[in-house]
Amino acid sequence: MELAIKTENLCKHYYTGFFTKKIRALDNLNLEVKVGEIFGFLGPNGAGKTTTIKILLGLTKPSSGKALVLEATPTSAKTRRRIGFLPEAPYFYDHLTAEEFLSFCAQLQGLKNQKIAIDSILTVVGLTTARKVQLRHFSRGMLQRIGIAQALLADPELVILDEPMGGLDPIGRKEIRDVIIGLKEQGKTIFFSTHILSDVEMLCSRVGILINGKLITVGVLNEILNESFENIEVTIKGLKPDAIAQFQRNAWKTYIAEDKVTFYVSQEEEAYFLLAKAQACGGKLVSFLPRRKTLEEHFIREVAKESKK
Amino acid sequence: MKILAIVENTFKEAIRDRILLVLLVIGFIAIGSAKIIKPLALGEEAKIIKDLGLATITLTAVLTTILIGGKLVYKEVEKRTIYIMLAKPVTRYQFIIGKYLGLVLVIFFTITIMTGGYYLMLSLTNTEATLSLLLPILMTFFEVLIIIALALFFSSIATPITASLITFVVYFISNFTRDLKALAQISPSVVVKALANFFYYLLPNLANFNIRNLVIHNAIINPATILLSILYALIYSALVLCFAALIFQRKDF
Repeated sequence: MELAIKTENLCKHYYTGFFTKKIRALDNLNLEVKVGEIFGFLGPNGAGKTTTIKILLGLTKPSSGKALVLEATPTSAKTRRRIGFLPEAPYFYDHLTAEEFLSFCAQLQGLKNQKIAIDSILTVVGLTTARKVQLRHFSRGMLQRIGIAQALLADPELVILDEPMGGLDPIGRKEIRDVIIGLKEQGKTIFFSTHILSDVEMLCSRVGILINGKLITVGVLNEILNESFENIEVTIKGLKPDAIAQFQRNAWKTYIAEDKVTFYVSQEEEAYFLLAKAQACGGKLVSFLPRRKTLEEHFIREVAKESKK
Repeated sequence: MKILAIVENTFKEAIRDRILLVLLVIGFIAIGSAKIIKPLALGEEAKIIKDLGLATITLTAVLTTILIGGKLVYKEVEKRTIYIMLAKPVTRYQFIIGKYLGLVLVIFFTITIMTGGYYLMLSLTNTEATLSLLLPILMTFFEVLIIIALALFFSSIATPITASLITFVVYFISNFTRDLKALAQISPSVVVKALANFFYYLLPNLANFNIRNLVIHNAIINPATILLSILYALIYSALVLCFAALIFQRKDF
């Protein structure tokens, strides 16, 4: 299995304050991201997501442990040539025009056909008409797009995006999502951190949840959510009031709307038992829905669990 | 190629910065004021006009270095543009060298423009404009090479205001290092002696670069002294840059 990112027992601590208090930003992080996948890196503020990203880019050195990116050390300039990066809430040189900024980035990347690359990426991010505009006149969404453009300019194998949807309106988020899906179709690996969980559910093949520097959950999104199965909703119509009263005892919650009744039961067997009895009483099945937790619910539960420790 | 890109970006950023424009305007006004004070010079017009112009060029170049150089690295860290740069295949040494050469280019540009204005003023006031006046300007350029390296060094460890302040203090003391040596010789205190000697050897001797009076008074200048000063500027700047790069290399962002 080819890995785009691999960390082994990665730790990072900082010392702050007059009495040099030790703060542990990362605690034995073991993470693997496969080539070609979209990996969502989740966690509350201060969980250590950005610290991890900085280590993966060679911007910060780990206190202990090892990080490999594209099977090489991120401190090597050769490795970074193969990575595209968008920082959180990016600020760019506002004295430059979009074209000048991308030309500067192209030179730093050592690109040969700079003009072709710039024209092409400006088209991808929809900023062709703004190429001569200074970045100081760009809106938040345009800045995010120029940030994506500089990250993708050198056709990287791995794209690391730190909060790419931050501060964007729904249209802007949709545009960035489309760019990410396009990258996945080209076989690129995308590693992104975000707070917007609906985007993760739409985009990611796998996710990792980082809390207080520790990786709490990691795996395929569907499997994580299936594990967090919550209850079954059985909706039946045509039941008489006395039958409803009888079945209510089997359900932990009941919701009545017009002639339909929804019973919430915890176990699958209980649900089938209730359905059989309801049908015997003349009830007709409307829906039978096993309900799993959303990623947001799972995330909030994990954060709450960790904060209690 | 990568260093050139950083040089070009640093230069563009500086010339689009209002501080440079303001300093250039003030510099031109100071040079132009020679025309006003000419009637007050009582027979020393040529010397005063020449000296005022040369001093203005030096002051403008030094202030530009301190004010722009002081925020050169810190601003990149504070605004997080450094993430964009260092996440690309750029080494930290390339970054430091690129920033340094970018500011050198800005100072070269500033001094060239100011020199143009200076010679224009000499011609407007019918003052003899000899080529020998270029020599102190050249020495100012080499003096500023050292200050740029110091500003860059302080900018990589302190905030812009602190870095500018420290650079200014170091520049000021570095013009009087001979006095430090004298202090070390006459002071009875061992501590003062040690401190004075320490700073004498640590700080650059910038007084060597001030040959304005010698040129204005047509004194003979030994070319070897000039060449030695230039060599000194290059070596001192290179050493300070190495320290800045070493600090920068170990830094976490």
